[in-house]
Amino acid sequence: MFKKSVSLLPSAALVAILGSVPSFADIKIGVLVPDSGPAGLFGPSTRNSATLAAQDINAAGGINGEQIELVFADVGVPPAEAAQAALRLWKGQGVQAFVGMHDSAVREALIGRFNGQVPYVYTPVYEGNSCAKGLYITGETPSQQLAPVIPFLAEKEGADKWYLIGHDYNWPRDTNALAKGYISDAGGEVVGEEYLPFTVSEFDSSLQRIKESGANAVLITIVGGASVGFNVSYAGFGLDEQAIRLGTLIEENTLAGIGPDNADRLYSSSGYFATIETEAAATFESSYTDAFGSDAPPLNGLGQSAYEGLMLLSALANKAGSLDVEAMDAVAEGTNWSTPRGDNTLTGRHMAQTIYLADGSGGAFNVVTSFDNVASSEICTE
Amino acid sequence: MSTVLILNLAWQISTLALVALGLAIVFGQLRIMNMAHGEFVMLGAYAPFITSSLGLSPWLQVPVCLITVGSIALLMERSIIRHLYGRMFDSLLATWGIAILMREGVELFFGRGYQSVSPPVSGTVSILGTDYPAYRIVVICIILLGFTALYWWSKTSKIANKIKAMVGNPDLAQAVGINTARLSSGAFVFGCCCAGIAGLLLAPTIRIEPMMGLDYLIRSFFALVVGGLGSLEGLAIGTGVIAGTQTVLGAIASQTYGYLSVLTLSILFLWLKPNGVRSSSR
Repeated sequence: MFKKSVSLLPSAALVAILGSVPSFADIKIGVLVPDSGPAGLFGPSTRNSATLAAQDINAAGGINGEQIELVFADVGVPPAEAAQAALRLWKGQGVQAFVGMHDSAVREALIGRFNGQVPYVYTPVYEGNSCAKGLYITGETPSQQLAPVIPFLAEKEGADKWYLIGHDYNWPRDTNALAKGYISDAGGEVVGEEYLPFTVSEFDSSLQRIKESGANAVLITIVGGASVGFNVSYAGFGLDEQAIRLGTLIEENTLAGIGPDNADRLYSSSGYFATIETEAAATFESSYTDAFGSDAPPLNGLGQSAYEGLMLLSALANKAGSLDVEAMDAVAEGTNWSTPRGDNTLTGRHMAQTIYLADGSGGAFNVVTSFDNVASSEICTE
Repeated sequence: MSTVLILNLAWQISTLALVALGLAIVFGQLRIMNMAHGEFVMLGAYAPFITSSLGLSPWLQVPVCLITVGSIALLMERSIIRHLYGRMFDSLLATWGIAILMREGVELFFGRGYQSVSPPVSGTVSILGTDYPAYRIVVICIILLGFTALYWWSKTSKIANKIKAMVGNPDLAQAVGINTARLSSGAFVFGCCCAGIAGLLLAPTIRIEPMMGLDYLIRSFFALVVGGLGSLEGLAIGTGVIAGTQTVLGAIASQTYGYLSVLTLSILFLWLKPNGVRSSSR
């Protein structure tokens, strides 16, 4: 599977480059993807999604009439190295704008390095609270993923006793701080809250605490492989009968690891699932399959976010008439654009978007409901 | 102590003992610092996918696991490891390189994404008033039986004595007619197969991906550091202390304190009692 996708990548990139040969003065866009490191799993789907976005932008006339060309860099490395890699693209290769799908530490390093001099779109799910000149964010923030979903689950599943469990860093803590407000507004209560060190790979004692707490809903902000281990053990103990699970970073790869036996009543809240049943999403999925083959790395919210980011960059630059940060910042508020996720609006530099709630029962995401035009509580005023 | 805590303890200690057994043999007996130990656990966990991608019946998972892990271990021993007996630091570097190769190899065949395995026995069973995963109970029983057999074998078998002789004094052992090359090769493959079987048994209860091996390597080392090398009793003490501390403190305090104590214990042992609680061969 991986081998084939690797051999397909260069050919896909070649098509993109060849397709844009006639226009000599291409605009170069830097796309920062994790090819290595803990998020390396998402590198291939991110590259593919970005490549599709470039094709679509060029087919629609490019940015301000000029064709675009993508230049990739690996940012699955420590923040200082990632900033160096971005700097090489910017100063060395003449990249005029950046789209990044990487962790928050790298984002902060890049903001410091870019210093508002080059447009930068940050695309993955993140904890919120990041504002800078020239920074535009398309990723879902905790308020978007939870505000509509918690009341919905209270009504549909009677979820009113929540146990909050996550890794011990700021994304889970910020998410849970917001979640507590939404839970009490929906008439529920928090019966337990727990943060785990990254090094823990056995969850038995936490599962016992969840069982004894009498929770009927668990909010999971455990990330990466540990999320797989946690959910496998969770179902092993039969806790899936006691309490529903809601995750805000459980995408297609994680669900595949959890497996069909262990995913009953496991909900995920995200701006994108490969199984969204809208025309735009279906078109996107079929062009992804056409371009990269049926055994290409599966689509997921993180990888697909690179498409969103490039589309926002194109919409903003076309609206501003240039890729100049001052001009783009001036017109940013209220920019509208449509993507596979739905109709989006930029408010406070964050993307108001459709939020989907999917049920992973049986090992595949089944979109239960969607909430249109959910704005983030994060507002950047600069 | 609640029943669940006792069962959790039994599960954690027995699975850690199983995972660490292979390392105890290779590191403890042959003095090869096998950094690729976790990768053999990983290979074992992939056995169900190797079996299904070859179109074989799921009943053949155990032989497929043994053949895959055993042949890779044999190849590794004959080509590289046999030159490194008695050179512990060199063996560390060489096996670390091999570990990276194995991770990349598995990624090439099965991709980087997570895999999942269904347990052959699903659901929970009621034991002493608590519901516990049925598959875990089965695994605990298998491990107990396996260790009982191994203990009996190590006390009665001539091969076990020959291994002790070979480790104690290789030249003398060769002089009295022990085929040390074959013996160490066999012990290495056996140790790696133990790791593979551990991976296969645990597969339905864990995350499966090419990078998973590291977790198992580190915990196994901690257990050996505390328990000491060279004896099954030491292995039992080491796994009991490491898994027991994590489980009990994780239950009564928090997971953070549990892990902190495991690290503290390991450091204290390395510092004050570098040969562990029990070490038969030093």
